[in-house]
Amino acid sequence: MELFLHYLSLPYLLRGIGFTVAVTGLGLAGGLVVGLILASMQLSRFAPLAAIARGYTVIFRGTPLILQMVFAYDALPHIGLKLSAMGAAGLALAANEGPFIAEILRSGVLGVDRGQVLAGQALGMTPSLLMRRVIAPQAIRTMVPALGNESVSALKNSSLASVIALEELTLRSTQLASSTFDFFSIFFASGLIYLGLTGAIGAIQLTVERALDLDRPPGQRGLARWLRWQRSSPAATAARPDAPALAAAAAVAAPAISQARAAGERAAALAGHDVAVRITALCKNYGEQVVLDELDLTIRKGEVVALLGPSGSGKSTLLRCINHLETWDAGQIRVGGRRLGYRPDGQLMSPRDLANERASVGVGMVFQQFNLFSHLSALENIAGPLRWVHGLAPADAERRARQLLDRVGLSQRADALPRHLSGGQQQRVAIARALAPNPSVLLLDEPTSALDPELVNEVLDVIRRLAIEDGLTLIISTHQLRFADEVADRVVFLSGGSVVEDGPAHEVLSRPRHPLTARFLSVMGADAPLKVGS
Amino acid sequence: MRTHLSDPGQDVSNRGGPVARWRPALVAGACLAALSWAGQARAAAPAAPAACQALQAQYPQFKGKTLVNAINPHTPGYEALDPNDPSQYIGFDIDLGETIASCLGFKMAYKSVTFAALLTTLQSGQADIVISDIYATEERAKAADFITYSKVFDGVLVAKGNPKKITGINTSMCGAAAAENTGYVEVPLIQGLAPACKAAGKPEASIQLYDNNASCIQAILAGRADTYVNDVNTVDQAVKAYPDKLEKATAVTLPYSVGIAVPKGKPEFRDAVMAALVAIQKAGIQTTLLKKWSLGEENLETPKLIVSK
Repeated sequence: MELFLHYLSLPYLLRGIGFTVAVTGLGLAGGLVVGLILASMQLSRFAPLAAIARGYTVIFRGTPLILQMVFAYDALPHIGLKLSAMGAAGLALAANEGPFIAEILRSGVLGVDRGQVLAGQALGMTPSLLMRRVIAPQAIRTMVPALGNESVSALKNSSLASVIALEELTLRSTQLASSTFDFFSIFFASGLIYLGLTGAIGAIQLTVERALDLDRPPGQRGLARWLRWQRSSPAATAARPDAPALAAAAAVAAPAISQARAAGERAAALAGHDVAVRITALCKNYGEQVVLDELDLTIRKGEVVALLGPSGSGKSTLLRCINHLETWDAGQIRVGGRRLGYRPDGQLMSPRDLANERASVGVGMVFQQFNLFSHLSALENIAGPLRWVHGLAPADAERRARQLLDRVGLSQRADALPRHLSGGQQQRVAIARALAPNPSVLLLDEPTSALDPELVNEVLDVIRRLAIEDGLTLIISTHQLRFADEVADRVVFLSGGSVVEDGPAHEVLSRPRHPLTARFLSVMGADAPLKVGS
Repeated sequence: MRTHLSDPGQDVSNRGGPVARWRPALVAGACLAALSWAGQARAAAPAAPAACQALQAQYPQFKGKTLVNAINPHTPGYEALDPNDPSQYIGFDIDLGETIASCLGFKMAYKSVTFAALLTTLQSGQADIVISDIYATEERAKAADFITYSKVFDGVLVAKGNPKKITGINTSMCGAAAAENTGYVEVPLIQGLAPACKAAGKPEASIQLYDNNASCIQAILAGRADTYVNDVNTVDQAVKAYPDKLEKATAVTLPYSVGIAVPKGKPEFRDAVMAALVAIQKAGIQTTLLKKWSLGEENLETPKLIVSK
């Protein structure tokens, strides 16, 4: 015991810790750099880069670290690169850690909900902005435990540097044991030192996890605040029940629409409006399967169009093509007269330019699954993109966000995380987010399909108000026939990727001309038949 | 870039004193990559003989340099940490190296590697010289030039009472487990017993390969191995450390010499080291050192070169 304590406090051994920590630090820092490069190569659009990264991974993950160390130390000098023991050990450890860290990074990035990426793209976020504001903050949280693991493993692996004369803890322990013959006292002492070091890494990992935990009360969050870019102010906590707002909205909506006469006047007025979206001969296939088949559609400013049709009829794909979240094989789409995503010479834009054009043309999108940024509060989901994409001053962005939250009746939930909101509330935030940059066209992709029945109405009420009060151009794919009847100017019925029937909403819904439309309506409307009116 | 954090052998004539202090320090920040470490020796080398003045005049290119000596410091008596001050290396080889260095006017820094890596380290240029109780064999002379300085006497280390009745590197080892270090010359000698064992109708000796003395000795203490054949002094040290558990079965003479390894293709350095060694032997210094480390004067051998044809 006395010997053990003697060795535990022996300066010679303690100084070895410095080398152990230094080589581990070098390995992890270098490994992070290598890992970032490898991960971005593997995630890149260019296949050769991914192949090179794969090849590197196969070699460096597939050979023992001890060989890599000896190679860096004894073989590199033959090509004129004579590294110190620390340099060679750091290089080998970094080269070896790289692929492991790359996989952690990659799984972190791939683990971020694809829908959120889509939502960010629809908001006009460039790939790098998406990475910085949406993917990285969420990926980092999920990667912390794995990175902690990797750090512990790197620290233990640093002991292999003893074979290349790096005077770290293990080499010092074995040398000391050889000269004193006190094997066990020495190895127990150095084992305990290693435990202390790995324990410290574990503590750091837990601290970081705690600090990044979004569910902790805001005051204690520290790091999480930094990763979340949340801004909270006293105004945010002012309670305001959302029921009155909804009731008011419903009150406005009901009488305004059901008047067939008013509808007729409105239709006449709309006919004189400029074209907002013009789709000509749009074709898209997934392999053998035809998704969009020579589809033509023209939508005028201020028009509210309901896309109906069975599942797989191409409604969602059509909506995604309009803001170029999907590519197509033939045909043209013009939004506000511009071919979104194409350069003047007809070539496809880079993802970055496409993002900027989305932002400037202004096509908002609301998704079936809401796709809110789950690490950001309701307020930040709206204000963040305004600052990042549209360059609004923080105060202006927040003001606009609060105003919109108020409109959708959620001002009292401004600081709530998406996961703490009901589906209906999340969808209302998503609508507010899509409206924030004042889009010229708003696409809603089955906005109520993922909601429990009792939550459907609160979302429909919000959309109804947008249609009536704002005069926004809306394209909604929906299964809510009654809602379509109330709100839409026009119903477009899709089947097999083309328009089967297109006409005034009430007319198509109550007196369908095409047998496919009739059959669809009779199936959909069986439980809530539409009144066949005047 | 190489940063020597230590400053070895400031005053080699100051016998026995704490000549130089090992100063570990971590260079901050970005310089970490350049950081290397070289241990140093407690220089107890006697004053250089007069002939050294002439050698320094003849080989001025080594004067004032710091050269790196790759050692496998797991052999107390030859090279090991000083148990009283682990920042220093001590032993016969260390003293001899320091004396050669002081004779030629250079300083010695140390790099600790596994035994099997001694010559690789020299070949890669990570070290300039190897003085680490390494036997100069024809095979090894393909990797480095050797200047011999000592005869080889091996001891056969066994557990107390020699339960397997081992009497040397002969058929008494058949069926026994021998612990050896990777790269040791004893390995092929023991492997060479196989035909004799077969002829005697006994199983072959098995060999467990480790990478330092401590592990080999532990293998016997733990009952994993029956014997460990190595330099007799090393064996004596082990027996001294564990008189109740270990004993030396016998001593054997091997047809080798211990040599200083220098890189191939550097004939001037080789000649300088050889000349310095000759001068040191003539002045009786090597004999003094052998006595100091209780290694037996009969070990002394007139230097000869072993280079591959």
